[in-house]
Amino acid sequence: MKQRLPFTLIFVAFTLFLMVGQLKPFLTETAALTPFYVDESIVGLLEQPCGILLYLAAGLQSCFALPFLGAFIFVILLVALAYVVRWAFRVSDAWFGLCWVPSFGLLLHFTQLGYLIYTVKHPSFAFADPLGLLIAFFLIGVWYRLGDWRLKVAFMLIVPAVGFWLFGFFALLVVPSLAFCELAQLCMRPSEFHAPRAGMRHFLWAMALCLSGFLLPVILKRLLPIPIDIEVGHVSFTNDLSALRRPWLVAFFSSWIFACFRFEGSKRWMTAVASVVFLAVGSCAYLWSFRDTNFLATLRMKHAAEVGQWEQVLQIARSEEQEPTRAQVCLTRLALFKTGRMGDILFTYPDGSADYRAPQPNQWLRLMIGPLLYYHYGKTGFAYRWAMEDLVEYGERPAYLRYLYRVALLNGEDALAHRYARTLARTLFYKETDSDLEAEATAIRPLLNYTDQLDGDNGLVEFYLLNSFALSEGGSREMVELSLMNGLITKNTAGFWSRFMALLPTWEEHIPTHYQEAALMMSQLQGGAPVADLPIDPAVAQRFQRLVAASSRMGDNAANAALLRPEFGDSYWYYYFFVEGLKTN
Amino acid sequence: MKQFDSHKIYAWMWALSITLLAGCRPSVPSSYIEVEYPAAVTPDNDGATIPPNIAPLNFRILEEGNEYLTCARSAKGGQLTVSGRDACFDQGDWHALAEQTRGDSLYIDIYVKDGTGWKRFAAQRYFVAEESIDPYITYRLIRPSYVTYEELTINERSTESFDERVIYENMRLEDSSQGQCINCHMPRNWNRDAQSQFHVRQALGGTIFIDGNKAAKVNLKTDSTMSAGVYPAWHPTQNLIAYSVNETGQVFHTLDVQKVEVIDYASDLILYDAENNSIQSIDRTRCDFESFPAWSPDGNTLYYISAHYYQRAEDIDADLDNNYDQLHYNIYARDFDQKTRKFGPRRLVFDAESRGKSASVPRVSPDGRYLLFTLADYGQFHIWHKSADLWVLPLSPRPVHCNSAATIPPSPDSSTCFLYPQELTPLNSSEAESYHTWSSNGRWILFSSRRDDGNYTRLYISYFDNGGRAHKPFRLPQRSADADDLLLRSYNAAEFLVRQVKATPKQIAATIRGDASNASYTGSALLRQEPDCTAVTINTDAAARRGESVGY
Repeated sequence: MKQRLPFTLIFVAFTLFLMVGQLKPFLTETAALTPFYVDESIVGLLEQPCGILLYLAAGLQSCFALPFLGAFIFVILLVALAYVVRWAFRVSDAWFGLCWVPSFGLLLHFTQLGYLIYTVKHPSFAFADPLGLLIAFFLIGVWYRLGDWRLKVAFMLIVPAVGFWLFGFFALLVVPSLAFCELAQLCMRPSEFHAPRAGMRHFLWAMALCLSGFLLPVILKRLLPIPIDIEVGHVSFTNDLSALRRPWLVAFFSSWIFACFRFEGSKRWMTAVASVVFLAVGSCAYLWSFRDTNFLATLRMKHAAEVGQWEQVLQIARSEEQEPTRAQVCLTRLALFKTGRMGDILFTYPDGSADYRAPQPNQWLRLMIGPLLYYHYGKTGFAYRWAMEDLVEYGERPAYLRYLYRVALLNGEDALAHRYARTLARTLFYKETDSDLEAEATAIRPLLNYTDQLDGDNGLVEFYLLNSFALSEGGSREMVELSLMNGLITKNTAGFWSRFMALLPTWEEHIPTHYQEAALMMSQLQGGAPVADLPIDPAVAQRFQRLVAASSRMGDNAANAALLRPEFGDSYWYYYFFVEGLKTN
Repeated sequence: MKQFDSHKIYAWMWALSITLLAGCRPSVPSSYIEVEYPAAVTPDNDGATIPPNIAPLNFRILEEGNEYLTCARSAKGGQLTVSGRDACFDQGDWHALAEQTRGDSLYIDIYVKDGTGWKRFAAQRYFVAEESIDPYITYRLIRPSYVTYEELTINERSTESFDERVIYENMRLEDSSQGQCINCHMPRNWNRDAQSQFHVRQALGGTIFIDGNKAAKVNLKTDSTMSAGVYPAWHPTQNLIAYSVNETGQVFHTLDVQKVEVIDYASDLILYDAENNSIQSIDRTRCDFESFPAWSPDGNTLYYISAHYYQRAEDIDADLDNNYDQLHYNIYARDFDQKTRKFGPRRLVFDAESRGKSASVPRVSPDGRYLLFTLADYGQFHIWHKSADLWVLPLSPRPVHCNSAATIPPSPDSSTCFLYPQELTPLNSSEAESYHTWSSNGRWILFSSRRDDGNYTRLYISYFDNGGRAHKPFRLPQRSADADDLLLRSYNAAEFLVRQVKATPKQIAATIRGDASNASYTGSALLRQEPDCTAVTINTDAAARRGESVGY
């Protein structure tokens, strides 16, 4: 126990630090993508192989909504796994450090996912493997402790047949693994089987296990009325992402090493070797966990936006030092619109189009924040559409149901909203009521003042929103301002003056700075505009004159962008002349 | 002595069991306050006409209370009592009671106990029809039709119980690199001969023909037709299937709560000869969009819908996206000579366009007397149209009394009266009613409705009496009272079956995995060729033709 405690404490501290300290937004998002409903019928769960295990795993995974609670449960499971490995393979305390390899593997298996949490079609990708392997290793341990041959025969028959129904893939793994273990022991440790009869007995068991392990699944597959996916319960990836299986493979097949070699004894060097392996595997788990700053910042911004904390969204946007992704830029702009400061400071915020560091291309912006953006910008049809498309593709995740509910409420589809509210009420952490959302809906309603049309966005959310507003005419005050700003962002100046003049009476004494900047620039470029009659701030006008003077000295080509950036980088002028080539998704 | 003792013990055990069981059966309270209005329940089937062999109409009581008791009693005597907020009847007891009530009323008394004691709400009433309903239905379970699809299932459900099984599921052969859509499971003659078909799209695509416990895959796309077969109509006596072939697209509303518009940018009709694996074209005009074929029960007439497309722009897709609400479908028919297998010229059966409406999914009753269809403001995919309602057009060949309210007043120089199409008001709601079908005895109409929340389609069943009147429908009963509330899927393209589908999912999967036989194109099935875009083109002003629909 004395030797085990340090490993346990280090593992617990490390995992909690990684998960709660660094990946907290990832955990929160994982919970929102977990379809868990408290009142599923047991009969329904038993109708599918692995239904019970997946349901339990999904329930535990949904606890990530309270990140510390979820992480704590996850850690407990991984610790239990290490102790079960020790028990199953009779690993001595000196070698105990090795028992953590499967736990680190499963930790990494989850934390490496990053953007892929949106596209993995699995109800509980974090917890299914730890639970499943815990059961699998436990069953292996039980086998080694079965003395009576009749019990062993019963084990061979029951584990694949009944176990498959309860634990899916994991039960099927047990028997062939045991067959391997028995054979491995014969080959690797022949000296232990002095008597030929003992050796023969092991050999026969191995053969019987082989038959049982391989034949029973085949028989099951033929007999069962439903298709058997051999990977039921286990997170599967497409072929091009097979590298992501590696931590899992390490987690599982490391157990075979325990079967081949007997990790006994209590020498110091054993502890040292085990400690080195422990540290090495832990370091790998840390290094290869997906801790991408943009990804985590986007999630933090998204979560703040979802509860209407727009100032926090802006704080996160301002605090990030690396080039933002378009998702971050879109969330920043939405927050600026919501706080009414879009016209004053939008171009002072970081802009960019950093790549989404995902292992495969996808419409990550749409997957992460598509429904959120469409909903808040009043494009309710598309918010509903993409929430529904993702629900169809990836399951009844609360993340999608929330927007289906919100849009139904905004549309006045009360019965439909009630249906979704009822579904959300069956989750552990995502209950919502109409009154919770009223203020949010009130802010969006002015954006619904437009004529419906049939349209398509091809999943290019930012592109669609920009052009939709930039090319729209009329509408509420909020819509006209969005038209004006999106016209500026897309550098489509065609409707600038009409929108500007329509909004002028609403600005009272202060015209937002960027609109002043744009007015001065338009006047300079196009001429004929009544800038002199506008209440332009003298500081803005003087700054513009300085830009004109500087440009006349240096020109406005891209080479001068760096020189002009310190003084004018936060102005619309700089954006208009020098910011080019940004992607919009 | 020992023998005697054991008998005694058994006797005591039986007596105890019966006493316990009797004690468990709830009894109607002896004192209560009468409430004049019926209790709120879901689903609310009060006033519906039900088949004597239907599964128990379980429901949930929405009134607040501490204890609940429901008593179903027959007007002919006999009753059934269950306790609990969810009134879930035993199937055997229910069937016995319903059978006993055949041709009479079944009353539902609901008792709710709150702080003031028991209350009895005004009785709800079902009328139990004399005629039974077909024992099975088939439908597709789908998330409300969007572009993506996962976990589609074609199911078979018993109408007499809650048993449901999957005929085929699209995930069976799907992997991450190839998806499958499955649709349009259509039995031939209510599956009397265990024949049905459905389509598989995308990966491993083809049309699957199920015949007993065998299945075969056919590729119905030829170089001469615009697509593989889509909406099927199986000829009642010959192994022929009329299909529409469609270029269909799905476009999304930015704001409208109808959300999706499914548009045909082109469509024609074909006739597939299953025995010779050959295809002939029926309607093949560029400016008329034909779809949703349906045979008359004698097999001598093919009904279908068609819209004349007035091309306004070069880009037809963009034009239709912008003017989707300008496309109006009428119902037409062509005579079919079963010997020569040739179609005569088309004739207008129901002019929806002149009413500013659009008809879809014509279905003739098994006795040939009625044409049931959906009427909405525009288009043909009416499940997304809130204006979609069910209508019926009498097809009576008999003389019609001109003083009937259902007739068009005679012209001064004519003694002939035409029948009006009639809205089946008891079936309709403010939400979409669509895809409908007749039971094999013609007394029951199964249709889809979005009346519950405007988005998720549920199945409703209505009694259609011999006088051509539809009665208040009831929702397809479910074992659990809240099953429909919790299900985030729609019931789609339901059909009645008189017997179960025999082929197993594994057999069907094996067929889908195999190669398809390619159908060959053998020319036109028209008796006389018709010039493109001129056949029965509507010439007169729609307003002038308003109200002049022709009864057939």
